[in-house]
Amino acid sequence: MEYFVNLLLIGVGAALIHNFVFYYFVGLCPFLGVSKRIDMAFGMGLAVTFVISIASTLSWLLTYYVLRPGAPVSSWIWSTLGGGSGEVNLTILSYLVYIFAIASSVQFVEMYVRKFFPPLYKSFGIFLPLITTNCAILFACLEIMKNVVGVEPAAMWGLDQALVLSLGGGVGFTIAIVIMAGIREELELSEIPEPMRGPGIVFIVAGILALAFMGFAGVDSALARLFKAGMS
Amino acid sequence: MSIVVVTIALAAATLLILAVVMSTILGIANKSFHVPVDVRVEKVLAALPGANCGGCDYVGCSDYAEAIVLKGEDVTRCPVGGAAVSREVARIMGVEIRQAWPMRPVVHCAATLDKRKRRGDYEGERTCHAANIVSGVQGCVYGCLGLGDCVSVCEYDAIHVVDGLARVDYERCTGCGACVKACPRNIISRIPFKADRVLAVLCANKDFGKEVSDVCEVGCIGCKVCARVVSDLITIQDNLPVFDYGKYDPSQDLQAIVDKCPRESLVWIGKPTSRDIQETADETLSERVEADFKTTVDQTEWRG
Repeated sequence: MEYFVNLLLIGVGAALIHNFVFYYFVGLCPFLGVSKRIDMAFGMGLAVTFVISIASTLSWLLTYYVLRPGAPVSSWIWSTLGGGSGEVNLTILSYLVYIFAIASSVQFVEMYVRKFFPPLYKSFGIFLPLITTNCAILFACLEIMKNVVGVEPAAMWGLDQALVLSLGGGVGFTIAIVIMAGIREELELSEIPEPMRGPGIVFIVAGILALAFMGFAGVDSALARLFKAGMS
Repeated sequence: MSIVVVTIALAAATLLILAVVMSTILGIANKSFHVPVDVRVEKVLAALPGANCGGCDYVGCSDYAEAIVLKGEDVTRCPVGGAAVSREVARIMGVEIRQAWPMRPVVHCAATLDKRKRRGDYEGERTCHAANIVSGVQGCVYGCLGLGDCVSVCEYDAIHVVDGLARVDYERCTGCGACVKACPRNIISRIPFKADRVLAVLCANKDFGKEVSDVCEVGCIGCKVCARVVSDLITIQDNLPVFDYGKYDPSQDLQAIVDKCPRESLVWIGKPTSRDIQETADETLSERVEADFKTTVDQTEWRG
């Protein structure tokens, strides 16, 4: 039970409370770039969710089995080579390896979408390859690394937690970009003061949205308390 | 062996193995998800003008290029590029060009503002779409509203409202059909121009004679005189003469029916003849007046 509560908190936390876009301000480039129409925004959100899931699965596997100090693969090699004390620490490679994983999964998704969803591929245009440089995805990978490297073995995240975080983050990104697209579709029809037209009003709207999402702050600890009280 | 050496070696090995594994996966995916792209599509797309106007009845130039290559669509559908583009595309595709007349829009209304009766005071939004919803703007519910929805969609500056009536500038018109789609009263249609000047019915009023003359000074009253003279070419439908442009022959002398028409509904349209140009050569043209209003996003002109 506690396990599921933990997962739920991670998921809800990533989706709403610590929304990638509105709390950490990552992934702003597609958030502003592809939020002109709701259907495109939704497609972008789905693509990011898909890529983020694949990329964080890959990066968790790599972090857990290869990169972290005392990882199975590296320590096995170290002991086979007759190493003494000390652990092989490959976390210096983290950024390289994560970008590698993200870029490959984006490539894969692009090929897949192109083959099986040609209209979606057409409407994405340049933004599908640009997911490669979407920092929300790298951010998710680094979040996962933070919870795998240098923490107590008991508190270390498994693949399940990593997946829930990335899925929650993807859903949160989708929510954010779809809300933004809805507002921007309305903005098209409204009379905006001249100095604020174009990107100006969009940034202001994004800021106000972020303020609104601050309302979720503290919900996670309250939720945790609630579940604890319910369980006992 | 020192831990530093092992770390460096392992780091290099990790990246190398990752690279090999990932590129293998992507290579396999590239093979199995391969989408065959016809090289001719790109060539045809390059030959098309890239206006994306939709005049060919496809979504855009790339859509049309795909249709040409994959579905064997006619190569002469591009109204913007005209004959030159058709030839180029036909060369790429290795097909013969079928004879195709340029399609040009005709505004089926001949009544300038002063010829229309029972006009109301319309103070609403200055678009035909808005005025079309309101009753009482003018007596004729078929005729041109003259608020210029067609003008605002025209990419080529080829249609203008003169004296409250939309008129096509056939020198500039490419026949893309944007105005046809924009007109809320559906009185603009495209007809094949078999000559520089063709005869067309410039009235869309389907009512009987009396109702028409109540609301318009020039509209067709459905007297059928024209159909009696050239019965093979003109049929009467809904009190309006309809040309069968398939049988239209530019060499046929049709001035007789124009003279016979008791109203002013049969009109020669198209490019000016050399005689017209000569006759008006000494006239000076006044500067065209452009509306000077700023809009936020849409084409709406606000009043009041």
